[in-house]
Amino acid sequence: MSIAIQLENVTKRYRTGRSRTIVDLVASSVADMRGQTTEVHSATRGKIDATIHALRDVSFEVKEGAGLGIIGRNGAGKTTLLKMISRVTWPTSGTVRVAGHVVSLIELGAGFHPELTGRENVYLGAGLFGLTRKEIDRQFDAIVSFADVERLIDTPMKRYSSGLYARLGFSVAIHSNPDIVLVDEVLSVGDASFRRRAMEALRSLISSGKTVLFISHDMWNVRRLCSDILWMENGSVRAYGEAGAIAETYMNEVNLQAMQNQATSLQSHRGGTGEVRFEHVDLYNANGAPSATFAQNDTLVIRGSYMASKAVESPVFQVAIVDIDTGVVVTTASTAGRNAATTVQGPGEIEIRFAQLPLRPRQYVLRLSITDAFQLASYDVVTAGPRFAITGQGAGVDSLADEQDGLVTLPFDVAHRPPIKHRLSTD
Amino acid sequence: MSSKQLSDKPERISIGAYFELFMNLTRREVKGRYSQSLFGAGWAIAQPLATMAVFTLVFARLGKMPSGGAPYPLFAYAALVPWFFFSNSVMSGTMSLVTYRNIVTKTYFPREIVPLAQVGSRLVDITAASGLYVLLMVYYQLAVTPWAALIPLFMLMLVLFTVGVTLATSAINVFYRDVNPVVQIGLQLWLYLTPVAYPLEAVENYRWFFLLNPLTGVVEGLRAVLVFGREPEWGVVAISAGLIVSIFIGALILFKSTDKYFADVI
Repeated sequence: MSIAIQLENVTKRYRTGRSRTIVDLVASSVADMRGQTTEVHSATRGKIDATIHALRDVSFEVKEGAGLGIIGRNGAGKTTLLKMISRVTWPTSGTVRVAGHVVSLIELGAGFHPELTGRENVYLGAGLFGLTRKEIDRQFDAIVSFADVERLIDTPMKRYSSGLYARLGFSVAIHSNPDIVLVDEVLSVGDASFRRRAMEALRSLISSGKTVLFISHDMWNVRRLCSDILWMENGSVRAYGEAGAIAETYMNEVNLQAMQNQATSLQSHRGGTGEVRFEHVDLYNANGAPSATFAQNDTLVIRGSYMASKAVESPVFQVAIVDIDTGVVVTTASTAGRNAATTVQGPGEIEIRFAQLPLRPRQYVLRLSITDAFQLASYDVVTAGPRFAITGQGAGVDSLADEQDGLVTLPFDVAHRPPIKHRLSTD
Repeated sequence: MSSKQLSDKPERISIGAYFELFMNLTRREVKGRYSQSLFGAGWAIAQPLATMAVFTLVFARLGKMPSGGAPYPLFAYAALVPWFFFSNSVMSGTMSLVTYRNIVTKTYFPREIVPLAQVGSRLVDITAASGLYVLLMVYYQLAVTPWAALIPLFMLMLVLFTVGVTLATSAINVFYRDVNPVVQIGLQLWLYLTPVAYPLEAVENYRWFFLLNPLTGVVEGLRAVLVFGREPEWGVVAISAGLIVSIFIGALILFKSTDKYFADVI
């Protein structure tokens, strides 16, 4: 396999702040004459001349036909990297070498003009990606049918919905005979069915030997599409290699950081009338040690101490595990099983134990509440309680990404049997 | 479509593809300008026509400006058409890279296509306005002489100069937005410092100052071969042509040496 992209010691510096005004120029030259080397502050527009390193000494190679996921926090330099490869911006030092035709999906439909019809914009947009009229003619039907805009193709694009706009933009890009496709978080627009088709299209580009660079915060999509991952941190390469291992380290670290940053108090979004309130809620693992990360199928113990300011008859304690991205996974209440509390007054403690957590490796937050016996009045509502994360296990993340979709893991068996004859046909 | 060898230069795409991109952007400009407007491309004629009417009133009727024996309206119109081609191109061209920042910061293509498309879109205007000039010739019963064959030469000079100035102002405007107001004010004054409302002979005392303006040769030349149907003053044409070529080359160098930084500062 030949190399499609090669970066050698690439550094990119930007000057922050706004451009200089005449006043700044005078001020800085006065400062120069006095031999001052301190940072000049603009009289009108704040700090100038401060530089930031968007990329520091980045070197890596991408093989032709690879699917490379680029991950990292916001501001880590991911987009700058793609802009460098697409020649929109140039390195301050170092070399960027690219082989073949690059098509960048940094923003879908960037070249479209709202006054022009879909048809005219296809020619305009594909022209921006370097296609000639003849080449566009050949691809036109494919572009339109992939975007599913046959009905509106002769309507000015200002009448399009934003999803449709993005769909046509994506379709034009992938039909522009690319050798290298750069995708930057653009699949978050559009509906689920478009996202699925877009992923399919990218996957088939890779399997037909095209190189795809894919920036996403959605680790599932990255894992599904990419065999390798480049992990950027503060403008440098943190890790580069086989996707499974890096994705796992990354997710575990992201989860851990989220755990550390969480406020220890339960005060945000607190509700309820206050007769009984939680004072502390802590999470423990099977060994009784405090923990915020759990492996799949670990034991989770939630221990909450509460204070009842007056006698409250049979309060119900509820705990819900909420997936931060998708919503409630499971709710449970102290009446649901044994050990419903009788009348409480003063301090007390409650322990809820999940013997197994058949959850997918994601972040979760606990929602806690104390209600009256009929679950009508709420004494206390903790909307954002303690958080925890399920960390990926080697086997789990390394298996096919499709098997990792959804919220819970259920044990299952597969059996292959000979086909059953259709009953109707035997009649 | 492109060689698949590692290269640290932007990929080379056929000139044809980029020409089509230029045509598409030009079309986009023209459509965007005249869509949802009742009068449409008629506005391209209205501007020189209305100015011609005012100039006729002010300079010919009140100021008794000589027009070398030609009907003054025709005399003024023949110069106003190329003038507005130049000034409208430069005016919208200066802001063009900033206006198109969403594609300049997101996709790679030769950046000069953007200001070029602004000039290109004004070619549609100048064609429409020239149509009216033909009607005026018929109305005033002026004959066309063989000197009219030089029109392409002056058009080439006009386009080359316009492209040169637009490349320079659009590139500098990316870094310093002060260029735009300077251009707007400058163009207003420039109209009166170009022999548009008056012939070059009328400012004979300042001849050398006017010859520094490359548009002098274009306007005077066009007027000679079209309105008067005579040989242009070759000395004036040569000076303008020399200036235009040097300005064009200088502007191109300026543009190509700064365009790497457009996406960073725009």
